[in-house]
Amino acid sequence: MRILFVLLFWLGMPSLGAQPNCEAFKYLGEDLKYKACKAAEKRAGHYQFSRKYQEALDEALGIDSTFAFAYRVKSTAYLKSGDFLTWKSLMDKAVQYEPAAQLDYRGWCRYQFFRDYQGAIDDIELLDSLIDYDIGHSVNGDYHLHIARALCYKALGQKDLAIAIIEEQLQDSTYFLGVYDYLHLGVLYLEKQQFDRAITALQQQAKQNDLAENRYYIALAYKAKGDLETYATQLEIAKEKYLSDRKMFDPYIEPMDKIYLTDIEQEIKQSKK
Amino acid sequence: MKKNWSFVLLLLLIGCAADRDQSKYLRWVGDIEPDALTDDETFTICHGESRVKQYFNFSKGLQYEGEKPAIVEAFRTQYKSVEVEQSGWIRIRFIVNCKGQTGRFRLMAADLSYQEQQFDPTITTQLMAITNSLPGWKVLPDQQKAQDYYQYLIFKIENGSLKEIMP
Repeated sequence: MRILFVLLFWLGMPSLGAQPNCEAFKYLGEDLKYKACKAAEKRAGHYQFSRKYQEALDEALGIDSTFAFAYRVKSTAYLKSGDFLTWKSLMDKAVQYEPAAQLDYRGWCRYQFFRDYQGAIDDIELLDSLIDYDIGHSVNGDYHLHIARALCYKALGQKDLAIAIIEEQLQDSTYFLGVYDYLHLGVLYLEKQQFDRAITALQQQAKQNDLAENRYYIALAYKAKGDLETYATQLEIAKEKYLSDRKMFDPYIEPMDKIYLTDIEQEIKQSKK
Repeated sequence: MKKNWSFVLLLLLIGCAADRDQSKYLRWVGDIEPDALTDDETFTICHGESRVKQYFNFSKGLQYEGEKPAIVEAFRTQYKSVEVEQSGWIRIRFIVNCKGQTGRFRLMAADLSYQEQQFDPTITTQLMAITNSLPGWKVLPDQQKAQDYYQYLIFKIENGSLKEIMP
């Protein structure tokens, strides 16, 4: 019963950054954490950048300096303002007190905001070694953490390993496909000059989530194969999709493999030569 | 009676001031207070300190004429690598006002372990000058309801070379 209660308590909480159920701490006899949790609830209704929000979390940490959740939610405003010093210091505390529940967030953010590829890999792989269940998704829901790990390996030049990780993830019958998975796989094949595989993956992306990016990269694959008619057609579709906002998007950062209008237009010029 | 109201108002004002003084926080995390010694005196914000937003509050992502490639190109053509064994991150944060003008530039730097680090001034001076000269920040959310907003650029440096720019 106790195990079930703990599982229910944490289920979904870490990735959403949602307020934990304070009553669970009470039930488990963790009185200090219960009081800290109640203090942290005072931030409700305040913007995460605001003084009141931060002060509520300071109060919580004043009651229990091991309350990992408070460090985590306190760190977010610093992350979003690009303050890597304060963010990392707060997240190190969160990870120190609750590694299995906090490494996902620290690892993902190291990749997303700071392109700290090795740091993200280290965090995600450490998390994977600590738990015997699925390591889960990025906090924004766009990526499974194994896919994010693969992108980090790609950035470090290990493209074969990146492909192997993504392929393995996609073969899992229980896996819930990410919005950009096949796009990244297609780009990796393209970069490895495996054009037929690139086309197949990018067509799969088009079926799942048809974006300017998959059209642009598939155009490049057809160009490499000498099919200049399809190359030109796909570029026009890419431009159309770009102008109608069917493109990769993250409100905070520019995603890996994102393309821009200038990229498409330059390639269209090339296609007309 | 009028005297009593004035007294209550005075107490409220003192209370508010005391509340602000006792807090280690400004209005928002990362707010940049003006500094007459370092800031361009001609730069002004349009709607007051309490209404400066963050770039992502508009849910449009990075908004620059020519998009991110234009920013990358500016640094690719102007930044000269420095031969030093220094790596890490440098953040330059600033305000874009309702006219698309920039000011209040502030710099933060860390090594690859996220520990504060002073980079060679040849690196930081270049990055600051190029950032300061970028002309294409968009007025957000649009010309009619233009707001002031905070923006940042983070530079990933490897041995004095500029490897990546975020966001």
